[in-house]
Amino acid sequence: MSKLTIVRLYHELLGTYGDQGNAEVLVHRAKARNVSVKIVEVAPGQPVPTSADIYLIGGGEDGPQAAALEMLRTDGGLTTAVASGAALLAVCAGFQLIGTSLPGADGNTVEGLGLVDAHTIYTDDPRCVGELYVTPATDESALILTGFENHQGRTQLGPGSQPLGWVISGHGNGLPMEGSGARIPEGVVNGRVVGTYMHGPVLARNPQLADQILSSVAGSLTPFTDQLADEFAAERRAAFRS
Amino acid sequence: MTGRGRGETIAGRVILAVDPNALGKLAAGRDIVLVSGTNGKTTTTAFLARILADGTDERVSTSEFGANMLAGIATVLSSKPRNRYVVLECDELYLPAMCEALKPKVVVLLNLSRDQLHRTGEVRKVANLWHKSFVGDDITYIINRDDPFLEFAVSDAGHVLRVTFGGRKHPDAATCPSCSELLDWSKADYSCPCGLGTQSAQVRADQRLSGPGRNAVLAIEAARLLGAVVPVTVQADLTESAPDRVSTYAVGTRNVDTRLAKNPESWRECLSQVTAPQVILSVNARGIDGRDTSWLWDVDYNVLQGRKVVCTGERRRDVAYRLSVQGIDVTVADDFAAAVATCDSRLIEAIASYTAFQDLAAIGLGLTKAATGVDR
Repeated sequence: MSKLTIVRLYHELLGTYGDQGNAEVLVHRAKARNVSVKIVEVAPGQPVPTSADIYLIGGGEDGPQAAALEMLRTDGGLTTAVASGAALLAVCAGFQLIGTSLPGADGNTVEGLGLVDAHTIYTDDPRCVGELYVTPATDESALILTGFENHQGRTQLGPGSQPLGWVISGHGNGLPMEGSGARIPEGVVNGRVVGTYMHGPVLARNPQLADQILSSVAGSLTPFTDQLADEFAAERRAAFRS
Repeated sequence: MTGRGRGETIAGRVILAVDPNALGKLAAGRDIVLVSGTNGKTTTTAFLARILADGTDERVSTSEFGANMLAGIATVLSSKPRNRYVVLECDELYLPAMCEALKPKVVVLLNLSRDQLHRTGEVRKVANLWHKSFVGDDITYIINRDDPFLEFAVSDAGHVLRVTFGGRKHPDAATCPSCSELLDWSKADYSCPCGLGTQSAQVRADQRLSGPGRNAVLAIEAARLLGAVVPVTVQADLTESAPDRVSTYAVGTRNVDTRLAKNPESWRECLSQVTAPQVILSVNARGIDGRDTSWLWDVDYNVLQGRKVVCTGERRRDVAYRLSVQGIDVTVADDFAAAVATCDSRLIEAIASYTAFQDLAAIGLGLTKAATGVDR
């Protein structure tokens, strides 16, 4: 039996959109496989542990996003953990701040943590709000991913970056990337780092993504059927077709 | 909301179509009060209208059906144009424009928390909108100063009456709405190096008051400011009588006490009042409910442990899965009547999101409404 530590970063700051539920989904699905697991809450101002397995950052408002970015930069713990192979799921404002640059609280560009090659800008286009449906980039025949997006920024992936998926409906990153033609990427994957605009929470609506993140640090998982989870996820996928 | 409430809004639309400046004309020379905030607008508006009617010799017009946008407000103003006092519930996003058009004497600000993120946007967006608009000396703002967003909203206003309920940690205010630094919440109340929240409150109310109790205090202060005589027993009377969005539906031999909950804060309030062994949760995600259901994960459902819980509504699977992850046994039912049919206790309670509640109030399921108190 392996032991996992999940760090939930600053959910008081970046908890506006329910993303803290991602941690609960991971714990629930890990325990069902007899993987023992604990959540460590890191509050603003507390040091970020460097030896945990999975780190989670959620979405929030501009001011709290700027505060979280400065704390993570000063602390350095998250960057160290990712460099040594930890998994990270960063959603919305969290996704933006792990990129190379983003609009700060005053609208001027600030440097991000640089964990993924992606930069976020504001355009004059309206806010991206609504259901988001995405084909996974690694396997376009796999189940689609679904979520709810609510963001102003558009995120440009650098050349050679791997998106999490391609937008079927909705906005996702909102900008095409080099070589993608008219297809719009959603999110980013860099090793064990995943960025996305999908709320829901994303791991509740997409159990397969939760298992991918778990198995990236815990190895192969025993099969597990959670009827309520599967019915919920299937219903959200079906909402796209209806 | 009732059928009559919708008719009320249509009348207002006609008035505004005929004369876009109608609002200002209808408001001229009258004492207008606007009531706004995320939760408690309808209750507080009703409280204040009642205190003014009882405590003055003047007549009072008020929004009785929670129609809190432009057209609904126009209808109230036009129906009895000689009534001196007009107490209006006002949608948060419309408040600056209504202040501009109606020149209210008093604005009562109850609270600001997350609500309908897809429409209203983030809390700070509303707070900023208010802050930019709330300048000058013409309006007296009555605020719950324990809410940092409200303190920020009125920080450039000339006249502010601050009421404190002893401080209460705000779940959405980790950082300062004014300077973005981390707020210090270590002493139940907040403090910030920028000085937000240092202005002392003129009114210190009981820390133990419930939501309706706090609303009653704010309504009483507004009524006093407008010259009403307010007996000391009023606050307790109002709090006791608050319908607080509980409706009882008789379904067969059983009564289902149903509460309306619209956002994380009102879900927490409703859950804290659950006493029945069997509970129905009904969740939709139509526009006014908030289209994003992620907030379900921000609510702690621990009070439901050990009770029978049935989930229904269009997003029953969202809420059922969320509860199951918290270790609560749930079942799913296709509709409200089916949910009631699976319950066998005499006492059943239900919590419903906005449109799920409306569907029940419209008696679309053949339920009999046994008591009044439906509002929005």
